[in-house]
Formats: sequence, structure tokens, C-alpha cells
Amino acid sequence: MHLTGIDLLFWAAGFVAHVVLLLVLWVRHRAATFPFFTILIASYVMRTVVLYFTALAGSKHAYLLAYLSLGSVDLTLQLCVVYEMASHAFRPLGNWAPDARIRLAWIVLASIAIAAGLTWLSAIPPVHTLLRTILIRGNFFSAVLMTELFAGMIALSVTIRLPWKTHAARIAQGLGFYSFVCVLIEAGHSYLGIDHNIRISADLTYFRMLTYMICAGYWIITLWLDAPVPKALPKEMEQHLLALQRQVEAYLQQLRTFRE
Amino acid sequence: MRATFFFLVLSVFLLALLTLVVHYYLRRIRTEKHPYGSWEKLLGRLSAVNRENVALIALSLVDESGQRRGDENDANLDEAQIWSMIGGIKGLETLERNCAVLVDLVFYVQQWYPEALAIAEQLRLNAREIEWHIGRLKSAAKAGRAEKAFPEHAEEVVAIYYVMTRRVLALYEEWNLPGLVELQRAL
Repeated sequence: MHLTGIDLLFWAAGFVAHVVLLLVLWVRHRAATFPFFTILIASYVMRTVVLYFTALAGSKHAYLLAYLSLGSVDLTLQLCVVYEMASHAFRPLGNWAPDARIRLAWIVLASIAIAAGLTWLSAIPPVHTLLRTILIRGNFFSAVLMTELFAGMIALSVTIRLPWKTHAARIAQGLGFYSFVCVLIEAGHSYLGIDHNIRISADLTYFRMLTYMICAGYWIITLWLDAPVPKALPKEMEQHLLALQRQVEAYLQQLRTFRE
Repeated sequence: MRATFFFLVLSVFLLALLTLVVHYYLRRIRTEKHPYGSWEKLLGRLSAVNRENVALIALSLVDESGQRRGDENDANLDEAQIWSMIGGIKGLETLERNCAVLVDLVFYVQQWYPEALAIAEQLRLNAREIEWHIGRLKSAAKAGRAEKAFPEHAEEVVAIYYVMTRRVLALYEEWNLPGLVELQRAL
């Protein structure tokens, strides 16, 4: 495969951005908090290397095959990251918030159904090889699904008033924004096909890469910085609450006695 | 044709998604600015109740400070009177909804006076009590015993609600908070 100067530039920039992000996750001890996200970024480093050498030495078919296989891993890991983000947001103390769990399940089911419907409806790619069709439709499905999931999570977190400035929220915002742009790009690909020799198709790919660079930069900065510390409860207020809790326990005891 | 239809559906979908995110983003900004809503909106959420009737029923059971009366004053009102004065179960449900507003009114103050948290928690507890009484009343209604259970639970609900309103007013009065006059008018 012939790689142009701009291809090499994006490839190198992507590789550097992922390595820096991985270092930030490691040095700032975020890897333990976000294991799936760290694995996702590590897989991107590996993917960049594998695809680069496949493009350089392998055939077009081998490249597509490698891209598709790594794309499946990517989708699986992205779903794991969604679970990780939801878990951070809605299960901060180890138990799922009961009102969030059911709503989250509905969001997931509805998202899968809508993404599948839109993918089924999507324009038939002009190049009819099975591998390319799977690739284009798979990318489109994954982008729609991720966009819906992150939009749903944003809506749910606002409804139940969860903080937006935590690291988990920053990762979700970045992935949500990137997925949204990807929906547009993959819709374009489904109409135009993926052919690097067609100018507009290549431009769409560059635009996707550029968007991803912006998101990676956003993650590098926000994950390097510390998340805002939640406000601590003043001592006096804590005492008040403890007294109130004791009072409630006493009432509960009275009620139980009354029942017996 | 199929491609046109697809892009049309996709545009509608993306527009809807974008509207949803922007809506929630703006809502977030509003919530950060006014976590418990603006003062006017909070007051607007209070449903109209007959204050005189609430006071009359409540004061037959408790005094102004919320202490139970020792005398048997509560026997003055019979169940039919209480039912018509408060507007039956619907009237009690209105009080229940107003309780949530009372809690929010104190949380509104708590943004600047953290000490108000204890009162807010106390009111939340009271609101829970009201919820419990209304729940019992509804269960009794299902079992066909609404008339028998109504006076006992309704009086409790009205008395707790009345005390809650006094507490909120006392808080605003004690700390000389703005909006007291509007609040007195609304409660």
C-alpha cells in the first residue's frame, strides 16, 4: 500500500499521542482506576504499529483483514469502557444506584435497537466486497451505539445530579464527542465507500483522525490534572446528621415494636 | 432513493441526539447556578391549600411549636368535617407534594447557610412520615376502610405539614432571609 506524507504524519502523531496518554495514565496512577480505558489506549498503540507494518509490507486484503479484526477488539473494549464509566458514575460506593440501573439498562437496549436499525437502513457501500461492507457497517454501528450510550449517560447523570468534572466524566465526554463525529464520517463512508484513492473518502478519514487527536489531547490534559476535590462536610453538620440518624433509628425501632 | 432516505433519517436522529445533549447541558448549567431551582420557580411549585383549614385541623392536635396537646381537643372535628375541610385524599396528596417544595425551600437556603442542613433533614424526615401516613390511608381505601382510617391519618398528615410550614417560616424569619413576605403569603 502506498502511504502519502500526510498518512505518515497522522500515523506518527497518533502513535505519539497514544504513548503520551498511556504514560499519563501510568505516571498519574489513573491506570488502576480506569483499567479498561488503559487497555483500550494500549491496544491503540499496538494497533497503530500492526496496521503500519501491514500497510507497508502486506496486501490490501491483509490490511483490511487486520483492520477488521482489530476493529472488533476495539468495539469490545469500547463497550467495556462504557461499562467502566457507568460503573464510576452510578456505582461510586460499590452498589448500583437503584434508580439508575433500570434506566441504564433501558438506554443500552434502546441504543442497540436504534443502532441496528440505522445500520440496516444505511446506504449500501459502492464497493460490494463482503469484507468492506462488514467493515463499513460495523464501524457505523459501533459509532452510533457509542454516541447513543454516551448521550444517554450524560442525560442520566444530569437527571440524578452526578458530578461532571471527574476523570470518568472527562473520558466519557471525549469518547462521546469522537463517536458523534464518527457517525457522520462513517455515514459518508457508507455512501462513498472506503477507498484511500478517492479524495473525499481519504479526507473523511483524515478528519476522523484529526478529531481523535483533539480528543487524545483533551484526555492527556484532563487526566494529567487532578479532578476537583468534592466539598467536605463541616464537622458541625456531620454531628447534626449523626444525631438525626440516631433519631431515625430510634423511630424505626419504635415502629418495629409497634408492628410486633 | 434509499441513500436519501437514510441520510434524512440519520439527520433527524443526529439532530434529536444533539438537542437532547444541549438540553441536558443547559439544564446542568441551570442546576449548577440554582441547585434547587430559582426562588420564583420554587414558590410556583407550591399548590394552593386552604391555610385556615390546615391550621384549624392541625391546632386541634398540636400546638404552634409542634408539641402534642394534652387535652382531647382533637375530638372537636369529626371525620366528615376533616374530609371536606382538607379535600379528601386528593387534598392530602397536595400537601404531600408541597412537602417536597418545603424541603427544597430549606435546601435553597442551605446554599448560603450550611447550618440549615439539619432543618432540611428534619423536614425530609417529616415528609417521609407524611408519605407513610398517606400510604397507609391508600391501603385502607383499597381494603374499603378509608372512612375509618381517614381521621387518624389525615389529622397526623395535616399536623405534620402545618409544623413543617412553621419551621420553614421560622427559619426565614430568624435569619431575616429575603422572600419572607412572599413565603408567608404562599404558606
